[in-house]
Amino acid sequence: MKPDLPLLPTTAVGSLPKPPEILEARRKGWGAKKLEPLEKNAIRRWIKIQEEIGLDVLVDGEFYRGDMVAYFAQNLEGFRMGGLVRSYGNRYYRKPIIVKEVKYRKPITVKWWKFTQSLTKKPVKAILTGPYTMMDWSFNEYYPDREQACLALAKELRKEVRNLYKAGARIIQIDEPAISARPQELPLAKKAMEIMVHGLDDVYFICHICYGAFEYIYPQMLELPIQNFDLEMSNSELDLMELFHRHPFTKDISFGVIDVHSHIIETVDQVKERIQKALNVLNPRQIWVDPDCGLKTRTEEEAIGKLKAMVEATRQVRASIE
Amino acid sequence: MKLLSANTGSYPKIGSDPKKQKFRVAYAKWEAGELSDEQFKKIQDEVVKEVIDEQIQAGLDMVTDGQIRWIDPISHFTKNLEGCRMDGLLRYFDTNFYFRQPVVTSRLVIKHPVACDEFVFAKRYSSVPVKQVITGPYTLARLSINRAGVDFRTFLRWFTEVVAQEVHAISRLGRCFVQIDEPAILSHPKDWELFKESIEEICSERRRLKIYLYTYFGDAMPLLNKMENLPVNGVGFDFTYSWKLVQKMAEEGFAMEAVGLGLIDGRNTRMERKRKILGILRRLLRNLNVEIVYLNPSCGLEFLPRENAFKKLKLVSEICKEARQKIL
Repeated sequence: MKPDLPLLPTTAVGSLPKPPEILEARRKGWGAKKLEPLEKNAIRRWIKIQEEIGLDVLVDGEFYRGDMVAYFAQNLEGFRMGGLVRSYGNRYYRKPIIVKEVKYRKPITVKWWKFTQSLTKKPVKAILTGPYTMMDWSFNEYYPDREQACLALAKELRKEVRNLYKAGARIIQIDEPAISARPQELPLAKKAMEIMVHGLDDVYFICHICYGAFEYIYPQMLELPIQNFDLEMSNSELDLMELFHRHPFTKDISFGVIDVHSHIIETVDQVKERIQKALNVLNPRQIWVDPDCGLKTRTEEEAIGKLKAMVEATRQVRASIE
Repeated sequence: MKLLSANTGSYPKIGSDPKKQKFRVAYAKWEAGELSDEQFKKIQDEVVKEVIDEQIQAGLDMVTDGQIRWIDPISHFTKNLEGCRMDGLLRYFDTNFYFRQPVVTSRLVIKHPVACDEFVFAKRYSSVPVKQVITGPYTLARLSINRAGVDFRTFLRWFTEVVAQEVHAISRLGRCFVQIDEPAILSHPKDWELFKESIEEICSERRRLKIYLYTYFGDAMPLLNKMENLPVNGVGFDFTYSWKLVQKMAEEGFAMEAVGLGLIDGRNTRMERKRKILGILRRLLRNLNVEIVYLNPSCGLEFLPRENAFKKLKLVSEICKEARQKIL
């Protein structure tokens, strides 16, 4: 079901810059209980910031998460944390290892979603990492193959989706950045997604994908049972638009207009130009506007500057359409 | 027939132990302008020595410099080329590793080959033979954006010229080992003729070099027989994408000077059972018409934590030793 939102709704993808006190506390190895008040403060502050900037759909900023896969792995049974692996440049992450049957123990993000939603009248997106990415970005020492690992994860993560739904979440984003990694496995990713969303017809599901080779999975990816694809568009010089020219994009799109890997804050005109490119190919009713990916790698000043430019550009484009 | 243990390419730059994090610390300081290029290079040199020591300690017969100086396999060879600039990040095949994508706007001009100096440094230090890895022209071309307005054949030829110069620079050093990595051809088998021309061009620069072509991140079955006709000294295969490749190779054989058997999964921490790998080797070695068999991981090891990478190499070496006694 489509949520009641203005034309060209604006949102952040998920993560926001962690405040220095949280980074410091994490460095010192504080436990979850001790960290919680700091994380709640950060959420309160950023809800205010997002409202002041004028975003339409808000996020909790994921201050309580480290890595998007490790966080869920730590909260599910069946994983243990592995050593450090490099993802790019000087960035490393601890890659989890599936060592026994995966089991959902208790709600993972539900209390954070409820807390965040209690702070604002605007809708808050619930966000979780999808089963395909959890499988692909973990080592697997237990399941005989990738398919069995992926489907086992889908069955367990579905319980988190269900609990978010029960708590009241009606916009749920499932992050699947790995989905384009093996085009031949798209049917598996689809099967896993079907398990995740089954029967929840009044939820608006978004699937976030970034930094992938979309040319290999487009247009087949449109068969995924979700309503909105959140795609990174500015990082690749909007090359994806060529694909949309060739085959119409039939779902809604959260159109990434902010390069999250650059320190440079985009100007309003630059963002307007990117939105305009989307409008050349897509119906305005299909388009949401957001950054390419989470903003956790940017400074607070940069993140605010980028979101402000994005919202202002959207306002101007919206006015010109309406 | 000789059976040797080898690394396939990369090796993790840091370990989880704080003592093995100096590369990461130095990189951060270098990025912040607190370390000069020269100071950072000195740390890179130290880490190259460390990872060569680890590979030797694991018992390998042939090592690499671990590709310690590479940020990624694509920008390492393209970032300083004329006619090219770097674009955004893109996932490297089906890994959770990213590379900066080159955008080519005109014919490529190489200012200074990068692989030769790396090779000289590693060779001088290592007590066992070193293999220099170079990303192949087809993979470089496939993963670059063509904004030069030329067809793919011309585009590939430009990259072939660049790689040929890298190879030529090393060929002056005499009898050495160079590995050309071409993972991209496995997902574009229809480009075989173009690919072959490109490899032939590179091999024409070889002099006394031993050139090995390594493929991974895909199923090599459709190209197995064609590979035998390439003018390289050896071909390396990744068996983790299709174990049927074992059956095909065992039934049809494979003839070449050398072959690299990527039977140890370089992407998963699960340790292979020695008995299983020895069984596969027993089946394969009977039908291989080759002088040298390298047992190696299926791909570079930077996709594993350093501790696991070491264990995998140790396993490679142990299996090799056992196979020499029991099979050869």
